Amino acid sequence: MARIIAGIGLPHTPVFPSLAANLGDKFEAGALYGAIEKTLDRLQPDALVMFSNDHFNTFFFDNFPLFAIGVADKSSGPNDETPMPAYSVPLDEQLGDHLRAASINSGFDVAVTQEFTLDHAFMVPWHFLNAKRRTPLVPIFIHCFSDPLPQAARAFAFGRALGDALLRYRKDISVAVIGSGSFSLEIGGPLAPPGERSGTPDRDWAALVETRLRAGDIETLISEATCERMQRAGNAAGELLNWLAMLGMLSAQGPLPEPASLHSQPDHGHAFGVWLAGATAEAST
Amino acid sequence: MSVYGVHKFLRNCLHDQTFRALAINDPETAMAEMPLSSEEKDALRNGDMAWLYEHGVHAFLLSFVTRWRLFGMSVENYSQRIRSARDWRNPKHN
Repeated sequence: MARIIAGIGLPHTPVFPSLAANLGDKFEAGALYGAIEKTLDRLQPDALVMFSNDHFNTFFFDNFPLFAIGVADKSSGPNDETPMPAYSVPLDEQLGDHLRAASINSGFDVAVTQEFTLDHAFMVPWHFLNAKRRTPLVPIFIHCFSDPLPQAARAFAFGRALGDALLRYRKDISVAVIGSGSFSLEIGGPLAPPGERSGTPDRDWAALVETRLRAGDIETLISEATCERMQRAGNAAGELLNWLAMLGMLSAQGPLPEPASLHSQPDHGHAFGVWLAGATAEAST
Repeated sequence: MSVYGVHKFLRNCLHDQTFRALAINDPETAMAEMPLSSEEKDALRNGDMAWLYEHGVHAFLLSFVTRWRLFGMSVENYSQRIRSARDWRNPKHN
């Protein structure tokens, strides 16, 4: 039986790898990623499951699934000219196949892709958290970026179904679950500030999301996170769905623990959060 | 109005370097290779970002024009034009 040892939420801002390279220790986000990398180094998960959203690179409107799982033994990225190193990415194919089959049996008609590359949504977290350790990944794609978005309750339930499936996995492995994205972010649209391509149009919403996460009030957050409300916070604010799926997966092991850490960056409308599960949380106190 | 054709044009600029060079150097030929309506071609030619956005083009893909200054679009003039678009999220424009 597999177990979840941690849930992690963080952004995938494409400029962050180059900023980290240029600014070094002065770059706050680099330090926040670094702290989570150290947590993973300590926990030594056998696999990572990451919920993130493609930006019309792996998928396009010719064939665009709302939910998809990558089932293959390897991938690579970034595929979108993000200024960062290129990586080959080892994948946990068996776990991905198990999660795909089990989620379909749970009523989630998830798509599968078996030959694909990854954009910055997966590769920026990979760069900061896993480039050295190279823990095998299962990439799970949630469509967060154009209307209509999946419902927040559906994203959470999808994560929960995957968590239930993970607990039934025949291998005794430990898994860290990652959800990546912003709470308020407009890219290229009318809500970006004058003279900028992107911005944070709704800091109040991002702060409310953080408050709900800190309190563990996910039920209220799900009721508040309608497609319309998220879109008002920016055309990429639906990326909250990746966090909700991560928390749904974590919830399969019992009541959500308090976050072990939750650090927001209000100027960016996003946060870095860690939830430690079960025995992992007890060992850390 | 296809919208899909505009999305495909923009996405190809990122993923197909030959097409990108064509879009930069000979945008009329590049547009002719895509399933674009005459209104869409006019809007691209004229840098009418607001019209394209209001007719359903995704802003993330639309802003690709600033990466290669397609149709004369810099970040500065793109910003001015996209911010003038009608958007249900912006009460000033409703």
